[in-house]
Amino acid sequence: MRPERWLDCRILVTVGTGGVGKTTVAAALGLAAARAGKSVLVMTIDPARRLADALGTGPLGHEPRAVPEDRLREAGVASGGALSALMLDTKRTFDELVERFAPDPAARERIFGNPIYRNLTDALGGSREYSAMEKLRQMHVEGRYDLIVLDTPPASHALDFLDAPRRLAGFLESQFLKVLLHPAAVVGRASLRLFRTGSELVLKGLERVTGLEFLTSISEFLLAFEEMLGGFSERAHEVSRLLRDPVCGFVLVTGPDLQQARSAESFWQRLQAEGIQLAGLVLNRVHAWPGAGEAPADDAGEAERAAEWLARAIGSRAPELDALGSARALVAATRAQAALARREAGVREGLERALPLVPAAVRAVPLFSEDVHELEALARMAALIFDEPAHA
Amino acid sequence: MTDLVAQLLARRLLLVTGKGGTGKTSVAAALGRLAADAGVRTLVVELGHAAVLPDLLGAEPSRATRDSPREPLPAGPNLFTLRLIPEDALLEYLELQLRVRLLARGIVGNAGFQRFLAAAPGWRELITLGKLWHMVTREDAHGRPLWPLIVIDAPATGHGLSLLSTPSVIIDTVRLGPLRRNTDLVQALLTDASRTLVLTVSLLEELPVNETLELRARVRELGLGLGPVIANGVEPPLALADPERVLAVVASLDGADAPSPLADPRTVCASARHRLARARMHAGFLARLQRETESEPLVLPWLERGVDGPDGVATLAGCLRRALDQAPGETRA
Repeated sequence: MRPERWLDCRILVTVGTGGVGKTTVAAALGLAAARAGKSVLVMTIDPARRLADALGTGPLGHEPRAVPEDRLREAGVASGGALSALMLDTKRTFDELVERFAPDPAARERIFGNPIYRNLTDALGGSREYSAMEKLRQMHVEGRYDLIVLDTPPASHALDFLDAPRRLAGFLESQFLKVLLHPAAVVGRASLRLFRTGSELVLKGLERVTGLEFLTSISEFLLAFEEMLGGFSERAHEVSRLLRDPVCGFVLVTGPDLQQARSAESFWQRLQAEGIQLAGLVLNRVHAWPGAGEAPADDAGEAERAAEWLARAIGSRAPELDALGSARALVAATRAQAALARREAGVREGLERALPLVPAAVRAVPLFSEDVHELEALARMAALIFDEPAHA
Repeated sequence: MTDLVAQLLARRLLLVTGKGGTGKTSVAAALGRLAADAGVRTLVVELGHAAVLPDLLGAEPSRATRDSPREPLPAGPNLFTLRLIPEDALLEYLELQLRVRLLARGIVGNAGFQRFLAAAPGWRELITLGKLWHMVTREDAHGRPLWPLIVIDAPATGHGLSLLSTPSVIIDTVRLGPLRRNTDLVQALLTDASRTLVLTVSLLEELPVNETLELRARVRELGLGLGPVIANGVEPPLALADPERVLAVVASLDGADAPSPLADPRTVCASARHRLARARMHAGFLARLQRETESEPLVLPWLERGVDGPDGVATLAGCLRRALDQAPGETRA
């Protein structure tokens, strides 16, 4: 999918490993859509305060905050376009779900008061990912925005957030959990023998290891949650469908080194296996060759000749300078830039071969020499993603 | 051995963490190499399922270790690496505790229990720390520590903090029983700055620096000792006495007869300007780290060839060594 088509999606999800600039790319995509006259929400998981400063929204929180109009005008957003941002709050999302699904106030208070709930909501396997998906679903259903850009939590090798709803459902529906909740009910005569070799044994063993008290708190926590499990599972399935709907596009963000490219490939394979189509790939923080044509192949002799020529040229203009020293330093810097540009071009070609996307769906964004946290820099990044001529 | 190196290597547990993409794994590997070269028997541990360290450190899986992935892989004199997988550590722990191997295997192999584990909170963190504690306290036949130094390639900020805060959560939640007793031991190790230090790796850019400062504040709140910030991938200075003057001259040159694109004045200026701008940005954030942590970060240069194998790790270890030798003052606790 060509980048200009990305903005036709109702949801864009940026995915990738940590530190590749997902949040920044998500913000740039959002800004680009706002410039195209859309009303956009960017959802981030990063406590990126400077990003909030650049957007002028004030501290980002659980509810969307709009970028002020004057900031938008400065960034080239005509009237009609609008940009808001929010930062995901796992605990708040869970609290809202509990409020929504708790059968009565007493049940709600039991959960809020449970020490395990209070302490471990953030640590619960995939809870961050699950809450990101839940918030996405909620904002999508509300339908206030033409486009929602979701910046996902960094994942090292798997798409944790795709698994999260399923993992949570597996946990909630597991036989073991039922035993933990209602030991007596499950122990029917017929199942007795089977049961003794299974979950009860597990429980007995665990009790010896953890102590009874801990298991009791866990089972209280789960018991308190039990009545809401149906609601949670149903939501998880809804989110799953939404992610596979054609209104939803995934943009893979990666960096240009080999390690990052490898994890991008495994991301892509996972997406495919999950039945999700990739809209495109942004290769971020690329060292571009600033000269004409392609970066020259490395050649020590050529570098030396270049330095000698440059030294003569500098010396003839400014005899007081250390011409040869300066020329050598400058050519060394240029040579390093060329080596990087070549190596990264190789990585890019490798990615284009490995990922059967139309080449136009792969966009490279150069490493900026300053941090991208100003709206103006975001606008430049957006322009690079969307206006770059198609890669031959 | 300088003071700082000696202080660092006298610890038992060094946890390397930071924002994703800052080079934690390379730094942990380099730290391991440095310690091993200084004569300390060192184990570098990676957590989870990605096996990066064996390639990075040049460890050859022997036949014995291939069959038993729980055992550390040798990666040269004094240096070993281990991938710590929570599921394996859980089985090992249950075997130790229950003293009945079949029972432990029955528990871990139970399908219902596995689904439960897939989403159950906190146990991965706890079992990981428990295993680390176990390795720190293990002794050889002469009663000396089996692993005098363990370097951990810890997870990035968010998960890293979950890992470090799990013991206090358990201590708050559970009052009695073996789980509590074991957790107390783990917590005592973690919060003893003479044994355990947390090293934070950062890039000199806005978001990583912010995250580093927040991470350090949280680590301090949790009662753990903090080592120096490691500023990674720092742009080396361009060796020009008066860059503005030189670049003004170069910009005025006619490149028509330049013998190579490497001498083309516009290209040369653009490359140099890019380097200078990044160096300026790095200097700014380095100053901010110095100011806000009130300590001297260890500066590791950006390596053109990257760190993708034992040679890169050795180079980075050399840089780390020089940075430590030059660093003034105390390792902060």
